[in-house]
Amino acid sequence: MTTATAFPARRPGALAMIRAASLALTGRLMRLEARRNAMLLMLPPVIVLFWFDGYRTAVTLPPFWALRSMTVELYGVLDFAPLTAAAAAWIGTRDRRRRVTELMATVAWPRWTARLASWTATTALAIAVYLVCVAAVYIATARQASWGGPLWWPVAVGVGTVAAACAVGFAAGALLPSRFTAPTVAIVVFALFFATLHPLGASPYSLLSPANGSLGVNLFADIGVFYPYLPDLAIVQLMFLAGLTAVALGALGLPRDRDGRRLRWLAAVVTVAGLAATGTAIGLVGTARLDSHDMVVIPAVHDAASDQPLAYTPACSQGAIPVCVHPAFRAYLPPLTAALAPALAAVAGLPGAPVRVTQQATTFYLNSAGFQTPRIDAVSSGNPPAIGLPLGIDAGSAGNPSQVSSALGQAAPAIMASVVGSGGQLKTPAQMAVAAGLLKAAGVPLLTPAEATAGTGPGNGALALPPGSAIYRAALRFAALPAAVRHAWLLRHLPALRTGHFTLTQLP
Amino acid sequence: MTAAEVRTPPAVPARTGSRGPSGVRLAWLHLRSRRVPAGVLALAVCAAALRAALHWHWSFNAGPYSQQIPMIIEAGAAAAIGVTTHGPFGEAERATGRWLPWLRLGAALALTGLAIAALQLGVTGASLNGGILQMARNVIGITGIGLLCSLVTGGLLAWTLPMGYMAFCQYALLEAWRAPWTWPVRPPTDRGAWIAACVVFAVGLLAFALRGARTRLTDDNA
Repeated sequence: MTTATAFPARRPGALAMIRAASLALTGRLMRLEARRNAMLLMLPPVIVLFWFDGYRTAVTLPPFWALRSMTVELYGVLDFAPLTAAAAAWIGTRDRRRRVTELMATVAWPRWTARLASWTATTALAIAVYLVCVAAVYIATARQASWGGPLWWPVAVGVGTVAAACAVGFAAGALLPSRFTAPTVAIVVFALFFATLHPLGASPYSLLSPANGSLGVNLFADIGVFYPYLPDLAIVQLMFLAGLTAVALGALGLPRDRDGRRLRWLAAVVTVAGLAATGTAIGLVGTARLDSHDMVVIPAVHDAASDQPLAYTPACSQGAIPVCVHPAFRAYLPPLTAALAPALAAVAGLPGAPVRVTQQATTFYLNSAGFQTPRIDAVSSGNPPAIGLPLGIDAGSAGNPSQVSSALGQAAPAIMASVVGSGGQLKTPAQMAVAAGLLKAAGVPLLTPAEATAGTGPGNGALALPPGSAIYRAALRFAALPAAVRHAWLLRHLPALRTGHFTLTQLP
Repeated sequence: MTAAEVRTPPAVPARTGSRGPSGVRLAWLHLRSRRVPAGVLALAVCAAALRAALHWHWSFNAGPYSQQIPMIIEAGAAAAIGVTTHGPFGEAERATGRWLPWLRLGAALALTGLAIAALQLGVTGASLNGGILQMARNVIGITGIGLLCSLVTGGLLAWTLPMGYMAFCQYALLEAWRAPWTWPVRPPTDRGAWIAACVVFAVGLLAFALRGARTRLTDDNA
């Protein structure tokens, strides 16, 4: 007998059979790990927590896809990651807890492979439940939303976060087995997420935390409605999370177990690749900036095409001066039209009256304290003028369409200025008095200078006039006139008023 | 060997006599078997973490959000106390140790007091929103939850309920809930919150002292 006959060459199909058998064994191991996994005990409380926290919060927000998707990302991460990480750490300590570490070192499977199988099963269970929870919110949103579609980047970040949390927790449990490991992991993950819930002004690196979504802490209802959702931050966060996962899983294969040198090399390569991805993500997020629509832009991964506004056909009310909103805000149209009616009725039919009032995107600027601040003033543009009105609805209070009641205070000053002023600006005392009188008659309170300085801005009143001044008295006189008399006077004298040829004493 | 030889009590090892009173040794062995020294270290780490959080402003300075990070660390201290309830001897210890309820009671009480003292030491000179009263109430109440949890899940899993409760209270904090059983979100001098926290602690402590943590973990089949 020769060596060749003792070890016959493998038939071509033999290799495939070995692979199939190996795959079947892996599948069987995964099933065993999933069936006897402590994550099954942890997930019911996590689901209850998500229902209380994430689901109830998300479905009380108006049904705008971007808003709800990002809210689910935030709450999903906070509800799932710490507790699933702790459960994974608990599972990681299993061998030590059951005192089978040496026994497990003698089995045929490489130690690293067995640990990866355990992590995979644990993570798959957590991700499956996470996806079910997200699906519940998305289904509720699909039933209510009148425009747009679901965002998948926030879901991907959520999945990546759960996977990374499980990897870090599992590695901590396997490498540092102790009764204190699991609670420590939970506390650290909780603390990290809450500590990074800061606006961009604090540190751009806090944006690496998936709990920060894509926005910092300011959520406005029209986010992702007029301009597309920017995936820049989500891409970098996913890169960071993938790197973190690779580092944790690679570290599991590094200790001098009985695994061969090849596997340890592979583990080292995975760890280094993870470190590279993590470092790259940290470098990229350092270049992040907020754009004027409260989205995070990271130049290296930014697609300039995403800066273009989304096309839509506005929903408009009927009337002499129509009020138009984005179709996603269709539910807000009747209360908005009713809120603006007094101001629009006062100027309807006058020469130079606005042709329409149109909702526009809320824009933001950094205030002196470094916080993103919304601009909610209406602006007049064009000839004949059209009024652009950002509704500026804070997501936290946007559940009820009646929230637009403050729109009168926002839009009325711009409406009156476009009719009475010179080029949309109130320049003479007479113009100010007439505009103030019209505002007063429309039900907009006139602010004192002190109130205006105190920050009581549009929405609560307009035009800082000292009480008792000549302009103020003239405004009160004008407001006291019957509406028909005011209208007739304006029809007759508006051209002269606009050119600045009127004085206060000439007002009725 | 005769029967007389068998009945003769074995000689006391010479070294045991030199280690102080047997009660102290018993208490020390009890604490060591529960990894209490490591638990004390964990409490010290919690105190250092709280100090760092206040020093580097990991949390907001005022308003409800300022309670988020301290509450997490307080729950961590309570969880550390919870996991020290696990003993390695199980039923054998219960059958023979008549001082066990007192040892459990003393250990839990001492660790709770130590946790409050350590956290207070950690925030000395810093501004903790709510002060020592709120911190002590949180530690007491959440420790009670951990002790109760140990009766059901076993000591090693006694961190689960405190963590879940703390996560729930983060939500209650943002929603400005006012129920006494969500004591971490109530003002420091709120009587209802104090009563709720103390009742939970008292019930947990009593039940734990009498029954001890469950010896068989709830995830034994996992």
